[in-house]
Amino acid sequence: MGGYVLRRILSTVPVMAVVALFVFSLLYIAPGDPAAIIAGDQATPADIERIRQSLGLERPFLVQFGDWVWRILHGDLGTSIFTSLPVTNLIAQRIEPTVSLMVVTLILSIGVAVPLGVAAAWKAGSLVDRLVMAFAVFGFSVPVFVIAYLLAYVFALELDWLPVQGYTPIARGFWPWLQNLILPSIALGAVYIALIARMTRATMLEVLQQDYIKTARAKGIGQGGILFIHALKNAAVPIVTVIGLGIAALIGGAVVTESVFVIPGLGRLTVDSILRRDYPVIQGLVLLFSFAYVLVNLCIDLIYTLLDPRIRY
Amino acid sequence: MSVVSDLASAPLAETPAIGAPKLPDILAPVKPHGRVVGFCLRHPTIVIGGGILVIMILIAVLAPYLGTVDPTTLAPSKRTREPSALFWFGSDMLGRDIYSRVLFGTRVSLLVGFSVAFLASFIGLAIGLSAGFLRAADGVVMRVMDGLMSIPPILLAIALMALTRGSVGNVITAITIAEVPRVSRLVRGVVLSLREQPFIDGAVAAGTRVPMIILRHVVPNTLAPLTVQATYICASAMITEAILSFLGVGTPPIIPSWGNIMAEGRALWQVKFYIVLFPAIFLSLTVLAVNLLGDGLRDALDPRLAKKL
Amino acid sequence: MDRRTLLKSLAGTGALAAVSRFPAPALAQGADARTLRFVPQANLANFDPIWGTQYVVRNAAALVWDTLYGVDENLAPKRQMVESETVTEDGLTWTFTLRPGLKFHNGEPVLAKDAAASMARWSARDPMGIMLQGIQEELVAIDDRSFRWVLKKPFPKMLFALAKNNAPCSFVMPESIAKTDPFKQITEYVGSGPMRFVKDEWVPGARAVFAKNPDYVPRSEPASWLAGGKKILVDRIEWIVMPDPATASAALQNGEVDWWENPISDLVPLLRKNSNINVDIADPLGNIGSFRMNHLYPPFNNVKARRAILMALSQEDYMRALVGSDDKLWRPIPGYFTPGTPLYNEEGGEILKGKRDLDGAKRLLAEAGYKGEPITCVVAQDQPITKAQGDVTADLLKQLGMNVDFVATDWGTTGTRRAMKNPPGQGGWSMFHTWHAGADCINPAAYTAIRCNGDKAWFGWPNSPEVENDITAWFDAKTLDEEKAAMRKLNKDALDFVVYAPTGFFLTYQAWRKNVSGVVKGPLPFPWGVSKTA
Repeated sequence: MGGYVLRRILSTVPVMAVVALFVFSLLYIAPGDPAAIIAGDQATPADIERIRQSLGLERPFLVQFGDWVWRILHGDLGTSIFTSLPVTNLIAQRIEPTVSLMVVTLILSIGVAVPLGVAAAWKAGSLVDRLVMAFAVFGFSVPVFVIAYLLAYVFALELDWLPVQGYTPIARGFWPWLQNLILPSIALGAVYIALIARMTRATMLEVLQQDYIKTARAKGIGQGGILFIHALKNAAVPIVTVIGLGIAALIGGAVVTESVFVIPGLGRLTVDSILRRDYPVIQGLVLLFSFAYVLVNLCIDLIYTLLDPRIRY
Repeated sequence: MSVVSDLASAPLAETPAIGAPKLPDILAPVKPHGRVVGFCLRHPTIVIGGGILVIMILIAVLAPYLGTVDPTTLAPSKRTREPSALFWFGSDMLGRDIYSRVLFGTRVSLLVGFSVAFLASFIGLAIGLSAGFLRAADGVVMRVMDGLMSIPPILLAIALMALTRGSVGNVITAITIAEVPRVSRLVRGVVLSLREQPFIDGAVAAGTRVPMIILRHVVPNTLAPLTVQATYICASAMITEAILSFLGVGTPPIIPSWGNIMAEGRALWQVKFYIVLFPAIFLSLTVLAVNLLGDGLRDALDPRLAKKL
Repeated sequence: MDRRTLLKSLAGTGALAAVSRFPAPALAQGADARTLRFVPQANLANFDPIWGTQYVVRNAAALVWDTLYGVDENLAPKRQMVESETVTEDGLTWTFTLRPGLKFHNGEPVLAKDAAASMARWSARDPMGIMLQGIQEELVAIDDRSFRWVLKKPFPKMLFALAKNNAPCSFVMPESIAKTDPFKQITEYVGSGPMRFVKDEWVPGARAVFAKNPDYVPRSEPASWLAGGKKILVDRIEWIVMPDPATASAALQNGEVDWWENPISDLVPLLRKNSNINVDIADPLGNIGSFRMNHLYPPFNNVKARRAILMALSQEDYMRALVGSDDKLWRPIPGYFTPGTPLYNEEGGEILKGKRDLDGAKRLLAEAGYKGEPITCVVAQDQPITKAQGDVTADLLKQLGMNVDFVATDWGTTGTRRAMKNPPGQGGWSMFHTWHAGADCINPAAYTAIRCNGDKAWFGWPNSPEVENDITAWFDAKTLDEEKAAMRKLNKDALDFVVYAPTGFFLTYQAWRKNVSGVVKGPLPFPWGVSKTA
């Protein structure tokens, strides 16, 4: 087990190296110039040239890349061109909102989607099943910003139940924190709920036809016990797989959700940095996202072994 | 972005095989209908999805003849008019006719959806096949694919769009690059499982050359899952185009696309909701149709996959 | 520590946390009335007002740093940190004496050497500062409170240069910070103004926080724009960055923010309907839209092609696309200078007036030798002002029969692209859109976009000795009448030469909750004198 974890962690190194080189070279050939943006609207071409030199942007590609890798190996992600703050600080400031949004969305999605999927499988072919499946297809088909605006209009502006925007750190209390996250989580979770509900229904349908379920029924175990203890446990592996794969989609969706609901998270930081060509920040963020994705998938592989004793590495 | 396509590829490539071997499927009872009617009854989603899609394609092709005006003509003195007999879907901030823009926008969404589906499938097939058959290439190619996959697809597309100037071609390229790794994984998974099959061993033993094996035995076996995957990619590409345009890094704004119309109307959703409403309905309906078609094709082409989902 | 004490201490912190959590909302409510939540026009991405000259940086810096002089609402320079100044009869030697008792935010006194070093850094980056540097003999502190600025030739606009609100302003920083290379960002924000910058709470792209500086001694005169007593009546000002106007509007309606700097005009009727919200013009000096052409390459290297654009463009179309249906928000300007200011004139502006002449414009284009070369239009989509203008331009050029190559991009890329002197087809450009704050366009002093000194001019590189002579004539003018005469000639020559095509003059709104009072109109949102009730 320990050896496996170590091997998995080591195998991420080439992946991360590929990501690093890929992102660095793409940004290097990008047409935008941070120096011009910094200089502002009234700057003269000579001003821009001087700023570019002071940022070291005129050096050859390999020198810049080597310099960057060297500093990362020493734990330094560099300094933002625009704010002159360390990239690690910028990321640290913004991790809490994004992680909060993800966690609430995950809990909400799983809490809604799994029971829906189980209900649909249990009553396969019924109206409930059709409704759940119809909802699932709709969840895939409506863009996240349309859902976001509708939610904000109904629940924040018309009913005035929840705030329109913003983020409150959890240190300022649980309810204020949650209040700000409910609408964004629903908007962001719609696709995810659809995905998990579909997967749950499909695997449950399959599991419910297995012999051991029939045995359990024969032994007189109640419907609830069969569904949630026997069947769901055995259906868990594909469901967890989908949850893990969806993380990447969730990070992407968070970009839109964060900008509509003004949540100061990593998604907005990424878009802002890309539009501003803040190279060090973009590079740090992409490394972070790749790392998170790899980490989540590692965790999921480990969860398999807990869920299903037949899986061994 | 492509959560649905992840779904299709994931169980094949990632999930460790568990459970007892499956029994052969019991054939559905044959119903006493004509072939066409019978097919329609057995696959209602294909009919509904396909039907809507055909209508959308007709709209795209016939857009100039459906009572539209030039969708780019400005009339700043007639801006933000409510839907009326003159402006069926209202007019936008520059006084352009939203009905015409939405109808012409169908062209962009379908073009992006179909092109990305085709290109991603084709490139993914090539990469997946070579990774599956060339041991030497497998490691490097799949590491690159893993690297690309570890960047959230929308962020990857945004990053690629920020590098180039906005054009429909670049939108297609960016979304394709973000989708290719998933297709490659799917194809590679199919290839790896086929390689273990006795008929491949048989072909090798009979002296058939590798290209022939690929062409005759492997490619046909990937077509069914690939077609299903392609529909999901098509759907997610249309949503991604809308998101990119919504964020201001997609289709050039002088080209009417649903994402652009919504991006322009987003600031006014509280006062002029119709600007966002009509393109949103068209987009959702089209994506819905493609998803339904995908579900139906999956049921029809690949019963094994259908059971999995 | 054994297990039992560990458990105890854990339980203790848990209880503490639980206790401290409940009163929090009450505390927050009390603090609410003393915290002003402000939605700025853009993100505060960097905070060096000399190095970065975006308007938003200037606005934030005006809270944190004080200036030697400040303009009042009549655009007259008034003493701010300076107590008195003298100038020798030949106009060459200026001596400035600082007010006594001025302190930086770190508690150190403000000395003349700090002011001199700050002016040295400022003059390296400011257009008027560069002119000063060009004629500078020396800039030195004489003692703790006085410094001397000796010039080789008189500079009548000295006080205006030090007082103007155009970025960069002459903010005073400690000497140690002011010695930073003007082309490198400062990293310490030791202010001299009425508010402190709370660096710990700064999240670029999301928020910036300013706290009242209790040690600041305001002047005794009433506040007027950048001049007078800058009295802060709240404890904190929180800037909350909202890229989405729809969200900002909803937040203002819900009372989640107090003051929104730039509501888009289409949302103003909605805000007006809300009985808790005030809406008014933000900056009476407004803005001038710009259709900037590249003077180096065909077709716009030919004055006839540039005049064709002036002849055909409808400022009404541009302005409606830009400000919406509200006619109070815009007016056509047949010229380059801010309407309503003393030097405004319409000399030579006939070409922009009356019915638009598309056929005449097409003829002029043909005379200029235009044969369907692609016109590379670089249009930033992330700025509503450039985006709206770009849409109108695409339509206009199409009607003129021009071959439009529309490059939709972001403001950052526009910044790079417009600095390229390559031909339009090879990475260069033919035209782009921008806008100039009306405060920058009251006269040529800080108006870089009007300059016509060829290679050294602003992007587009117009080259016209006549226009340059007119500008010099204004700088040398000693009376208002002389200034007016110089400006009339300048407006006419600039229009004849078509330095750029003005697309109209427009105003923007600001909106605030009714429990906030003291908001004034001005070229930047002045927070002094603004108070809030719960």
